Amino acid sequence: MVKFTADELRRIMDCKHNIRNMSVIAHVDHGKSTLTDSLVAAAGIIAQEVAGDVRMTDTRADEAERGITIKSTGISLYYQMTDEALNAFKGERDGNDYLINLIDSPGHVDFSSEVTAALRITDGALVVVDCIEGVCVQTETVLRQALGERIRPVLTVNKMDRCFLELQVDGEEAYTTFQKVIENANVIMATYEDPLLGDVQVYPEKGTVAFSAGLHGWAFTLSNFAKMYASKFGVDEAKMMERLWGENFFDPATKKWTTKNTGTATCKRGFVQFCYEPIKQVIATCMNDQKDKLWPMLTKLGVQLKSEEKELMGKALMKRVMQTWLPASSALLEMMIYHLPSPATAQRYRVENLYEGPMDDVYATAIRNCDPEGPLMLYVSKMIPAPDKGRFFAFGRVFAGKVSTGMKVRIMGPNYVPGEKKDLYVKNVQRTVIWMGKRQETVEDVPCGNTVAMVGLDQFITKNATLTNEKEVDAHPIRAMKFSVSPVVRVAVQCKVASDLPKLVEGLKRLAKSDPMVLCSITESGEHIIAGAGELHLEICLKDLQDDFMGGAEISKSDPVVSFRETVLEKSSRVVMSKSPNKHNRLYMEARPMEDGLAEAIDEGRIGPRDDPKIRSKILAEEFGWDKDLAKKIWCFGPETTGPNMVVDMCKGVQYLNEIKDSVVAGFQWASKEGALAEENMRGICFEVCDVVLHADAIHRGGGQVIPTARRVMYASQLTAKPRLMEPIYLVEIQAPEQALGGIYSVLNQKRGHVFEEMQRPGTPLYNIKAYLPVVESFGFSSTLRAATSGQAFPQCVFDHWEIMTQDPLDPTSQAAALVGNIRKRKGLKEAITPLSEFEDKL
Amino acid sequence: MDFEANFEIDRTADYIHSHNFTRVALQFPDELLKDSIRVVKELREKLRALRKCDDDDRGGTLVEGKRDVGLYVMADTAYGSCCVDEVGAAHINAECVVHYGHTCLSPTSTLPAFFVFGKACINVSDCAQKICTFASSCNKPILVLLGLEYTYAIHDLKGTLEDEALKLSTSSSKLDINCASVLSSTVAPPTGQMTSNGQAEVVNNLSSFPEAGDAEVHTSYSISGLTWNIPHGQRIEDYLVFWIGLDNSAFANVVLTLNACEIVRYVPAEKSLITDVSQITRILQRRYYLVEKAKDAGIVGILVGTLGVAGYLHMIHQMKDLVTKAGKKAYTIVVGRPNPAKLANFPECDVFVYVSCAQTALLDSKEFLAPIITPFEAMLAFKRGSQWTGAYTMEFRDLMNMPSCGVEVGTDEPRFSFILGRYVEDLDHEEIADDSEGLALAISTEKALRLRDKDVNTLANIDPKSGAEFLAMRSYQGLDIHHDGSMPKPIVIGRTGRAAGYENEKSQ
Repeated sequence: MVKFTADELRRIMDCKHNIRNMSVIAHVDHGKSTLTDSLVAAAGIIAQEVAGDVRMTDTRADEAERGITIKSTGISLYYQMTDEALNAFKGERDGNDYLINLIDSPGHVDFSSEVTAALRITDGALVVVDCIEGVCVQTETVLRQALGERIRPVLTVNKMDRCFLELQVDGEEAYTTFQKVIENANVIMATYEDPLLGDVQVYPEKGTVAFSAGLHGWAFTLSNFAKMYASKFGVDEAKMMERLWGENFFDPATKKWTTKNTGTATCKRGFVQFCYEPIKQVIATCMNDQKDKLWPMLTKLGVQLKSEEKELMGKALMKRVMQTWLPASSALLEMMIYHLPSPATAQRYRVENLYEGPMDDVYATAIRNCDPEGPLMLYVSKMIPAPDKGRFFAFGRVFAGKVSTGMKVRIMGPNYVPGEKKDLYVKNVQRTVIWMGKRQETVEDVPCGNTVAMVGLDQFITKNATLTNEKEVDAHPIRAMKFSVSPVVRVAVQCKVASDLPKLVEGLKRLAKSDPMVLCSITESGEHIIAGAGELHLEICLKDLQDDFMGGAEISKSDPVVSFRETVLEKSSRVVMSKSPNKHNRLYMEARPMEDGLAEAIDEGRIGPRDDPKIRSKILAEEFGWDKDLAKKIWCFGPETTGPNMVVDMCKGVQYLNEIKDSVVAGFQWASKEGALAEENMRGICFEVCDVVLHADAIHRGGGQVIPTARRVMYASQLTAKPRLMEPIYLVEIQAPEQALGGIYSVLNQKRGHVFEEMQRPGTPLYNIKAYLPVVESFGFSSTLRAATSGQAFPQCVFDHWEIMTQDPLDPTSQAAALVGNIRKRKGLKEAITPLSEFEDKL
Repeated sequence: MDFEANFEIDRTADYIHSHNFTRVALQFPDELLKDSIRVVKELREKLRALRKCDDDDRGGTLVEGKRDVGLYVMADTAYGSCCVDEVGAAHINAECVVHYGHTCLSPTSTLPAFFVFGKACINVSDCAQKICTFASSCNKPILVLLGLEYTYAIHDLKGTLEDEALKLSTSSSKLDINCASVLSSTVAPPTGQMTSNGQAEVVNNLSSFPEAGDAEVHTSYSISGLTWNIPHGQRIEDYLVFWIGLDNSAFANVVLTLNACEIVRYVPAEKSLITDVSQITRILQRRYYLVEKAKDAGIVGILVGTLGVAGYLHMIHQMKDLVTKAGKKAYTIVVGRPNPAKLANFPECDVFVYVSCAQTALLDSKEFLAPIITPFEAMLAFKRGSQWTGAYTMEFRDLMNMPSCGVEVGTDEPRFSFILGRYVEDLDHEEIADDSEGLALAISTEKALRLRDKDVNTLANIDPKSGAEFLAMRSYQGLDIHHDGSMPKPIVIGRTGRAAGYENEKSQ
């Protein structure tokens, strides 16, 4: 059934102008996978009849079951275009054969990391938007991501069938809706003007917008219709296309084009007159089984059905007719081939985004020219579980050179620093593989501009890496991907049987590899933690872990673990002092909250340990009102030397102070990692060293004496400065019709959330609601919301900020104290907070 | 309980007398130190009486010059009260040590030792009944282990248990009770062939591995002085284990070693059974975390936690080899009993390996700056490709006859670090082996200094590979003679008074 062979595919891979690497991106449920099916069908991998139902790219059982895409799946498609279809194509090409490397990506926000990984290895994106729901949260997110990677988008307004069947809107109304959708998308794209990429906005009259019905397998661009009418009106296609969109009206009575609606009954907008109405008519005729009327119409349109197809009735007939008349694949393919860049074109401007090294070295040049003879530059964007258990394919894109079976490659991991040996391996590629539908085919080599899967490297790559030739020691790696979500939801997993622990460990390693986002770690108390982007993401991860990576061994998971932060509200009520174990050294300290925005500035890396002290003190003085000299006395940041807490030296004239600096810093790193309240990280606390009394003999003021003391005095100063917990807050975006609003508000209230923006989507009955919701309350939020709004509201949560909890955790009756107690219990600590007297000493 | 019986004065005196020891060290843990005077007094009387008896036998002639046996009281060792303090005893040239109180029964290396476990109250019939009732509810063979302070009652207990079992057993089910026995209350150092690998003998005696002899029909186990056999064909995992005694280090030792078994604890003082030992999985998890952490370590401190337990030197050398082969730097440190303040003086060590007797081996306080692991855990952490299978060994002597750590093939695969959440590559062994010791130090120091030069004002985030590199990263590296502003400072009047509050501070 497969129309093409691996050899054909391999041959076309060498024609870098005839390749399109593209991803399909959209909001969840806007029909990516369904639309992809029709493309796959055209390449002959699945039958035309079932296109739209198979969801070819949803290869996993759970994907099929839930009806959502979870992993991005790549497919190589091979098309032979006809000469006339390519007539108008002005770009470079080698013959009529085209290779489309297509990646279907998930739309749910929890899996955005998959989208990021997909975008990296593609040059163009097909943005799918539901014609009724319009541009949604996730559409915007992924679109921005794509543009950030300099990926050229084309748009398809999908689910056209809903217009005709469900809603039965008339032409003018439909036009306005489509116009709005396109406008909304363009608003986002307009902000990404960049001279190299050019204008990225989409215009129906230029053919960069398609209208599709993925479920029924048909689609058109204005050029389809323009071709049809051009000869009739005696104008060229381009002119005709312009007339089919925008303020162009045609009155069949007068046979005149105008730019305004003349008001006569017969005067209609070009789009409505020539595109929308005919389709509407055909569909209506099919649905009503008016076959006597249908056949002449079809003959006029040049559509020929096979005799057995003529027997079909109703929907099936309609689907068949539309597929034959306006096949989705040819419209979309034409759009892709015409308007999406080939690797040769795209890499010319993408090189700046991709390559970390100097832009004039041999590697940058090879990427820029997409040179198959140049040095190998390959980026592995994700690891795909292979059929043999426990192994992975390294999946990525060749940007320059060729990768071949048996080749020795240098693997530069994400922590590789040019010139060092860290995170660097030299290994053999055992096999190079390409995907053809669900089958993998081994090929001898893969040249630049293509996606490839490699066998035999999985032991050396965690999630992504840059590969180059063994000898290319000066190559810099390709820039790491930036994810739009972060793993904030965590669960602790345990195996039910203690002796399964090694299995669990092995499983976690594989899990960490298989997903670009998930983090597997181990806590101080030995709990294994899986962190994911959201509830759904975690659920999928746990399922994979248990079924695929641990061979079904039983595991138990804890309730979601939310990490908190510890901070202070005020300056310590007094200067606190702690004595060293030998009582000969004393440290005096105070804690105070950092200025607003400072912790965020540290998070973003605007202020950090590696700054030039002069610049740092300038920022601190100008933006945060610090004393200039004081800014130079920052000893360190923490935890992990970069965190949003610091130690500042406020001492005057203390002898030997420099001697204990390292010990205080060590104590601070420790204390800021495990705060006094619940051993959570500290955030936004500035510790000021006020005074120090040291023993005269160096031996009595060593690390052993000072490190534990520094830790204790910091705890004491934290406890005297009105300590508070901070909880993580999600930004929730919900889209729902007006009648669901009541339900949304009540669920949000019940979950301690609050709405800060409510906006009606222009031209739709839908409202866009933005709210803040504590992460702790978000578990089960989507299902509660769905229940409360009878499935009409669908939330998307993204971590937004940390918020101080107002209750005093030191007051044993408060909720915060209960929370602290729970965290401490989970960590196996004493439930009560260690009292101040344990940390503070008296003279 | 009777003082005389509790301290087993008679038996001790017999032991000393029969071996003709003239200088004997009596080692008391802190909590028993208060009784030491009385023990010495009674022991001395007893010994006198015994000698008199002897002399009488020989014909009543008092042999001149034969003096009293010298009895010396010692407190704990610097490491823990369960081990015999051989070094302390050597100070007084003692010929033998009598150890009182809780002990780990670790074999000694030079001196013979006699152990007095003490006697704790136990209601044997209640205990036996509780155990049997509980055991009859689950269909598993039973193993009874007990704290050494209850060994005096072991015979009674065995008998009563059998009676109870008979009472409860029906035709359908029969309770299969296995009781551990105490090895011996004396330990003699290995005699004669105490050569470089002379520990082998001791090891075999206490091995928890199946014994080599083909004739054996059972597997014998030994943990902290208790030994038991289980018939061949049965696995220890199938047993229901009872522990009679307190929740002390001996119990922790048993639980960790037999972590696959279901363990029930009988508390003699409260006459109750405690079935919930869930914190043990917690401990195991925590230990696993420490192993993971150790894998990422660059510098390892080998803490000497005993100077008495047989084979400790061998173990230290083995650890050193292991650490060096793993491409890490090892330093051997003796600080007596470790505490946070002492160990924080070695901030360069990322992890400590504590070589000590089995019962003091688990040092896990969050107060320590760096984790402390046992030699067994070190083996897991530093031997490439080794994996924790669930088995756990506390006694380092059991490790010594594990396959030598030199033979494993170094896989060059990177290792997944759970602490960092990514793959890391361990340093190649050859790289280190190439340079001679002194040169390597110089090179690494140079490298560290170079690194520091690059970004002077940052605490470089590079893991140091040796103490020298660590020092190079510190902001304060000791007094700098060549410092420019080293003009002599004028003399000022310092503080006076005590550290608790100097005189000028009192006024505040």
